[in-house]
Amino acid sequence: MLWMVTRRLVTSLLVIIGSLVLVFTILYVLPGDPTDNMVDPSMATPEVIANLRHQLGVDQPFHIQLLHYFGSILQGDFGKSLLNSDPVLPKIAESFPATLALTGASVLVSVTVGLLLGVLSAIHRNGAIDIIARVIGLFGISMPTFWSGILLILIFSITLGWFPAMGSDGWQTLVLPALALGTVGSGFIIRMVRNSMLEVISEQFIVTLRSKGLAERAVMYRHALRNALIPAVTMTGMLIGDMLAGTVVVETVFSRQGIGRIISDAIMAKDLPVVQGVILFSAIIYTLVNLLVDLSYTLIDPRVRRST
Amino acid sequence: MKFYSKNRRKSAAAALLVMVMLLSACGGKQTASQGQTDSGAAPAVQGASAKGGELTYALATSPDTLDPHRSGLAVAVRVIRTIYDSLVVQLPDNTIKPWLATEWTISDDGLSYTFKLRKDVKFQDGTPFNAEAVKFNFDRILDPATKAANAAALLQPYKSSEVIDEYTIKLNLSTPSRAFLGNLSQALLGIVSPTAAKQYGDQLGQHPVGTGPFKFVKWDENADIKVERNPDYAWAPEIVTNTGAPYLDSIDFKIVPEEATRIGSVQSKQVLAAETVPPQNILTLKKDPNFQLLQANTLGLPYTLFFNQERAPWNELKARQAVQLAVDVDAIVKTLYLGTYERAWSPLTPGTFGYDPSLENSVKPDIAKANQLLDDLGWVKGADGVRTKDGKKLTLHYVDGTPNREKRNDIAVMVQQQLKQIGVDVEVEITKDVRTVVYTNGNYDLYGNSQVNSDPNALYSFYHSYDPKSRPTLPRLASPEVDKWLEEGRVEKDDAKREELYQKIQHYIIDNAVILPIYVFPYTVAASKSVQGLTFDSLGYPLFNDVSLQK
Repeated sequence: MLWMVTRRLVTSLLVIIGSLVLVFTILYVLPGDPTDNMVDPSMATPEVIANLRHQLGVDQPFHIQLLHYFGSILQGDFGKSLLNSDPVLPKIAESFPATLALTGASVLVSVTVGLLLGVLSAIHRNGAIDIIARVIGLFGISMPTFWSGILLILIFSITLGWFPAMGSDGWQTLVLPALALGTVGSGFIIRMVRNSMLEVISEQFIVTLRSKGLAERAVMYRHALRNALIPAVTMTGMLIGDMLAGTVVVETVFSRQGIGRIISDAIMAKDLPVVQGVILFSAIIYTLVNLLVDLSYTLIDPRVRRST
Repeated sequence: MKFYSKNRRKSAAAALLVMVMLLSACGGKQTASQGQTDSGAAPAVQGASAKGGELTYALATSPDTLDPHRSGLAVAVRVIRTIYDSLVVQLPDNTIKPWLATEWTISDDGLSYTFKLRKDVKFQDGTPFNAEAVKFNFDRILDPATKAANAAALLQPYKSSEVIDEYTIKLNLSTPSRAFLGNLSQALLGIVSPTAAKQYGDQLGQHPVGTGPFKFVKWDENADIKVERNPDYAWAPEIVTNTGAPYLDSIDFKIVPEEATRIGSVQSKQVLAAETVPPQNILTLKKDPNFQLLQANTLGLPYTLFFNQERAPWNELKARQAVQLAVDVDAIVKTLYLGTYERAWSPLTPGTFGYDPSLENSVKPDIAKANQLLDDLGWVKGADGVRTKDGKKLTLHYVDGTPNREKRNDIAVMVQQQLKQIGVDVEVEITKDVRTVVYTNGNYDLYGNSQVNSDPNALYSFYHSYDPKSRPTLPRLASPEVDKWLEEGRVEKDDAKREELYQKIQHYIIDNAVILPIYVFPYTVAASKSVQGLTFDSLGYPLFNDVSLQK
C-alpha cells in the first residue's frame, strides 16, 4: 500500500514536470507577446516595447527562460504576473476556494442525480422512468455548459428572479453554476450506473439471492448496486478532473472567482508565470484526487484490498 | 464495512428535501429584495441629489492593474479615473481647464510648461500634493523599472521637470507638442501618491492611492473592485457639477465578462449598471421603461481599415478608390450593429478637435465606377469572376485579430463578399499575432485599427511618413504634403489655423482613399432608472462625481 502511494507520487511528479515544460513550450511557440495587452503598438515606439520586453525578461532565449523558471520554482518562488506584478501564489490561493466550492457542489449534483436516476432507470428498465432518466442523461452529456449556463440565467435569474446571475459570494451564487456543470457529470453517471446495474442484475449470484427468497429491495440495493458502484467511483474521480477543467467555462459564464478564470485570462494575455502556476496547482490537485479514488477502491471492493 | 445501506437512501432523500427548501427559501428572499429595487426605480425625482448608497457597476473584463502608469486596458481606466486626478481636464469642447493645476504658462518656443498647483490637495493616504509629487510621477513613468506602458507613450515628448517652489513646477519637452496638455488630462497620466508608490513599488496596482473622488477599498481577483467616497475631496474639475465629495458612499465594480450574464444581471437587478452593451440588447433596453441606456462616443480615430500602400496594386490610387466605392460601409454598420453604432466618415471621430463634418456622405457606393477604375488599370475579369492582369490574380489580403472584438471579424467577411462584385479576391486572415503579421512583417493589404485619443495629433503616428530605420506606419503613407501639415498641426498655436490644417489632412486621406473609415465606437452603459447623474469625460470614460441613487 505504502509502496503504491510512493510509486504514484513519483509518477505524478514526472507528469507535473512534463506538463510544465509542455505548457511552457506551447506558450513560447504560440504567436503573440505579453506586451500586446500592455501597450498599443500604434501608439508606443518600438523602443518603449523593447524596453518593456527586456524588463519582463521575455526577450531571453527559450532555454534561459525555462531554466530560470524551474530555478525559481525549486526555491519556492512561483513568480509574478507579467501583466501587473501580482505574486502568483496568493493569486491562486485567493481564488481556489471558489473553484473548490464549485467543483464540490457540481460533483454533489452529478453524484446525487446520477446515482438516483441511474439506479431507478435500471430497476425500471424500459419503463417511463427509464426513458425520462435516459433523456436527462443525454441532455446532460450533449449540452455545452456555456449554453445551459446562459439558459439557467435566463430562466432562474432574469425571469423568475430566484438566483443571482453572477458572483461568488454566498451559496445562492453557487446553485446555477453547480447545476450547469453538475448536469454534465450526472449524464455520464446515469449511463454508467444504469449499464453496470443491468450487467450485475443479469449475473448468476443475483438469481441465487432471489431464489434464496431475499427481498427484491435487498437484492437490488445491498448486492447489485454495491457491485455496480466500482465503475461509478472511477467515473466520479475522472469527473472531478473534468469539472476542474469545466470551471474555465462556467466561471466565466457566471462571473465567478476561480482558477479557471485566472488561467483563461492569463492564456489570453500570454502571462506565462500565472499560466504555469495554475497548471502546477491543478496538476497537483488532479493527482491527489486520482490517488484518493484509487485508495477508495480498497474500501469498496475487498478484492482490490487483498491484491495490493 | 457497510458502504451502502438504507441510511444512504434516507440521506439522499434528505438532501433532496434540503435542496427543495433552499430553492423556496431563496425564491422568497430574492422576491423581497426585488420589491425594494422596484420601488427604488420609481419615477426619477429631480432636485436635491440623494446622498449615500452603493452603485454596483458591471465591467466587461478585469482591469489589468490600478497603477495608471502601467495599465494598457481601457477597462482599467474606468476604475483608475475614480481614484486619481490629473493636472488638467479636457472639456467636451476640447478646451483644457484647471484640475490639480490652477493655471499654467507655456514658453514661446513651446518647450516648457510652468504649472501653478492647488495648495489644498492631499492624497488619500495623507501625503501632501505638491510640485515634488508631480515631478516624482513623471520621473516614475520615464524610469524603465516602472515598466510603464501606454503612459510612457502619452507622456512624450516630456524630457524633465524642475520644482520652482512647493506649488510651482516646470515641465520641459524635447519638442513642442500641442497634444501635450490633452495627454496630461488622461487618466493614465493621473498623479499617484509618491509615498504609496515608494512603499508598494511594483505592487502599487493592488494598493492604489491618488487624490481622486474615491478611495480604493479592495480588489477580489475576478470578482469585484470596491472604492468608497473620499470625504476630503473638494477639487473636482469643471467637467462635473459636484465640486465636493461624491454623493455615493461607494462603487462596487463587478467583473462580468460574459455579455449575456452582464446584461442579465442588470435586468435581474443584481447590479445597477453594466457597461459595453451588445447592439441587440441596446435595442431592447431602450424600449424597456425600467432601464436607461447611456451612450458616449469616443474621441480619436474611428475603427479604420488601412491600405498598405507599399503592396501592389494598392499603391495605385485607382485600385484603392475602386475598393472605396465598392465597400458599402452603411450596409456593414447597419447589419452588424443594428443602427446603434455611428458610421465613420473621416480619419477622426466627430467631436475630436478639427473634425471635418463636410466629409459626411462624401463617399457613396458605386459598383459600376469601381469596375471601370479596375478596367482602366488593366485588370480583366476571368471565368471565376476574379480579375487578373499579367497572369496575376487581383487579391487583397485582409488581416484582423482575435478575439472578434466588436464583430470586426464579421466586417472582414462582409468586405470579402462586397468586393467579390468587382472581381477582387479577398483573403481574410484572422490571427492572434497581429504584432508579428502586421507590425513586424507588414503582411497585409488591409488592416483595421482604432485609437482613443484626446488630440488630432494622434494622426501623426499613423499618416506621417516613417523613418526607414524605425517601424512603418499602418498605411505606409509617404506624402510630403501631409507630413508638412502634420508637423505644423503639432505646434500651431492658433486654433483656427490648426483646425484648417487638420481639415486639409482629413480631406487628403479620404480623397486619396488612404483608408476606409468604418464606425465610431460608442461606450454604452445600461442602468436602472434609479441611477442619476452618470456622465462621461471627453474620451468616453464614466464620471461618478455627480451620480446619486434615487430612493
